[in-house]
Amino acid sequence: MRNKYRKNIAGWLVMLPSIILFTFFLWEPLIASVIMSFYSAKGIRLEKFVGFQNYSEVIQHPDFKAAFSNTFAYTFWSIVIGFLVPIILAIIINEIIHFKGFFRLSIYLPNVIPGLAVAIMWLYIYKAGKTGLLNIILGNLGIAPQAWLTKSHLVIPLIVLFMTWRSAGATTLIYLAGLQGIDPELYEAASIDGAGLWARLRYITLPQIYNLARTLLILQIIFVFQVLYEPLVLTNGGPNNASTTLMLLVYKYAFEKFDYPKATSISVMIALILMMLTTLYNKIIKENEM
Amino acid sequence: MRKILNVILVFSLLIFLCGNTGLAQKRIILKLGIWPEPTLKSDVLMFEKWKKEFEKKYPNVQIIPATYKYSPDTFIPLAESGNLPTIFETWFTEPQKLIAGKFVKDITNELKKKGWDKLMNPSVKQILSKDGRIYGVPRDAYALGMYVNLELFEKAGLMNPDGTPKYPKTWDELAKTAKIIKDKTGSAGFCLLAKDNAGGWHFTQIAWNFGAKLQLQKNNKWYANLNSPEVISALNFVRDLKWKYNVLTDDPTSEDWGSGFEAIATGRAAMYLGAQDAVNQPTQVYGMSLDKLAIVPVPAGPKGHQYSLMGGTPYMFSAKATSEEITSALNFLEIMGKAPVVTSDSLAGMKADAENRVKNGVPVIPSFPAWIAEDWLKAQENIVKQYRNVDMRLYNDYYNWIKKPNVLKSEEPYLTQDMYAELTKVLQAVVSDKNVDIKKLLDTANNNFQKLLDMYVNKK
Repeated sequence: MRNKYRKNIAGWLVMLPSIILFTFFLWEPLIASVIMSFYSAKGIRLEKFVGFQNYSEVIQHPDFKAAFSNTFAYTFWSIVIGFLVPIILAIIINEIIHFKGFFRLSIYLPNVIPGLAVAIMWLYIYKAGKTGLLNIILGNLGIAPQAWLTKSHLVIPLIVLFMTWRSAGATTLIYLAGLQGIDPELYEAASIDGAGLWARLRYITLPQIYNLARTLLILQIIFVFQVLYEPLVLTNGGPNNASTTLMLLVYKYAFEKFDYPKATSISVMIALILMMLTTLYNKIIKENEM
Repeated sequence: MRKILNVILVFSLLIFLCGNTGLAQKRIILKLGIWPEPTLKSDVLMFEKWKKEFEKKYPNVQIIPATYKYSPDTFIPLAESGNLPTIFETWFTEPQKLIAGKFVKDITNELKKKGWDKLMNPSVKQILSKDGRIYGVPRDAYALGMYVNLELFEKAGLMNPDGTPKYPKTWDELAKTAKIIKDKTGSAGFCLLAKDNAGGWHFTQIAWNFGAKLQLQKNNKWYANLNSPEVISALNFVRDLKWKYNVLTDDPTSEDWGSGFEAIATGRAAMYLGAQDAVNQPTQVYGMSLDKLAIVPVPAGPKGHQYSLMGGTPYMFSAKATSEEITSALNFLEIMGKAPVVTSDSLAGMKADAENRVKNGVPVIPSFPAWIAEDWLKAQENIVKQYRNVDMRLYNDYYNWIKKPNVLKSEEPYLTQDMYAELTKVLQAVVSDKNVDIKKLLDTANNNFQKLLDMYVNKK
């Protein structure tokens, strides 16, 4: 028995730093915030156990309904607008012969700029009046200047467009790696059998990256579900809550009202929703595969 | 080897203990969160001078600069880790929240010892108190007026021969004046805020002048009153500003407190609600020249209501501070000339402040009387006169107006920020859609706010 531990000690030593880091920076705060969501508190000092009171007050708050449905709207639009973009980009770049490195680099560049800086940059793009970049461009086509971010039906797709521009590059690189892992012999064999471009795409490329796409879809949903700084900077959740999100509520509870227990209770709800969505999704996929 | 090490250890421990007891002989440490940021060079020089004077007078107190610019997202970590400076400046919206969270010290006893509790402007004291205990002292207070960009008024031909602006006296006139400015200069006539809670805050000022009362008390319960006919007419007026006269800035939902001052300074808008305490914003921050700025009274409503919304910017104190530390901090305020006492030190402090304003191109205008000590007010008035760098005719109407009885009005009492949030949402809907149903919007806002009042105020 002792011998066994001694044999594994090197392994434990290698793992130790990450175990410590995980415990302190992930698991402990995670559990602490779940506990906090059931307490009342002054600042972060817990006062007394209140059961589900934080949850019920948060749900009854007038902004919750809008934030809840908007968060799903963001996710929906991000799939409509953003899911296929990296796949298409990856396939195109994979087929390009010249300047491949250049294109690979340029699509990744938006990721390198700090998030807030990009958001402020897009604020200038969407800016109302004659000085907004989008308005200047459309003005050349004879379209009158619009106050883009005040259109309550358009505001979420516009923000999702910005998010796609910002994060599609990273996903594209993952797809590219996947595409390059496809055995070229498959394509050769298909060509010999007389398969055209579309057939090769349909029967080789897409099935080969199917698993990858499935994982990335879940990751995208998890990522977009926590959308925070984009609406925070661009619209502050407006107009009239048209772009507010659950995470924005968390932010406002925590940093505007100093009501940490309510902030944590929304976070717990977000985590639960995501867990349910992921389980459901995996189940559907499994059933389809069988 | 081990022996030597032990000896060294014991020795160093002894030295440490001795040193400590030596220090413990009443060495008070005062951490100043109000110390200016290093980029504000002349302000830092001013504080260095005050620090020297203070340490000469109170040799047992050591001052440590601990610049802290209040921000809600950094405050809690700082407070919970016990690193909050002894004294810090916060926003006028925060005191009740900070008191409720037990982050700040009750300083009633220290104030009583100095006799300052009786010298505080009663409406300011109310903002800083809970259950009869006082938790802060005012840096200064504010009363909303209207900032005017004189360059745009000149271009639009709206100046009197004596160089004062023909500013609007009623909201109705404001719409017409704004229209003239928009037509003649292309700039917005009025800057309305609708990005964050400051939108609801400014709209409260407008609604009051239309005769609205936003919160009512009946049988010990508080009721939201956001859908009264007065609020509806105020909101209709806002809608006209946007859709009938088209005199607002391009996108009010992107305007916040700071961008409003930027709009005034750069001539993007001609009129904007603002208070005297923010006068460094357009001038020092955005470089507006002093002869282009005026502050005038807020226009009156259709039935003659003409209030000025008032509040105060407080200094507050770390909950962990000892009584001696609090007293030292109050002593430092005396040297800065921010306390209600007239001594050679405080006079010098006020002068240094005025000199600093002149140097930075900030109008030297009277501050709002946060203290009611007669001699202090007199001294301040004299210093303002001595260092005057603006034409007071551009400010007199405003100052005379806020001295009238029944003009100053404190913010609505309960869940004020939540109420502002509801009103801001309504404003956003109105300025982004021409055809919204105003009554319906306000009904929703009223229900929402009532729900919050019932949840947090009425149940107690």
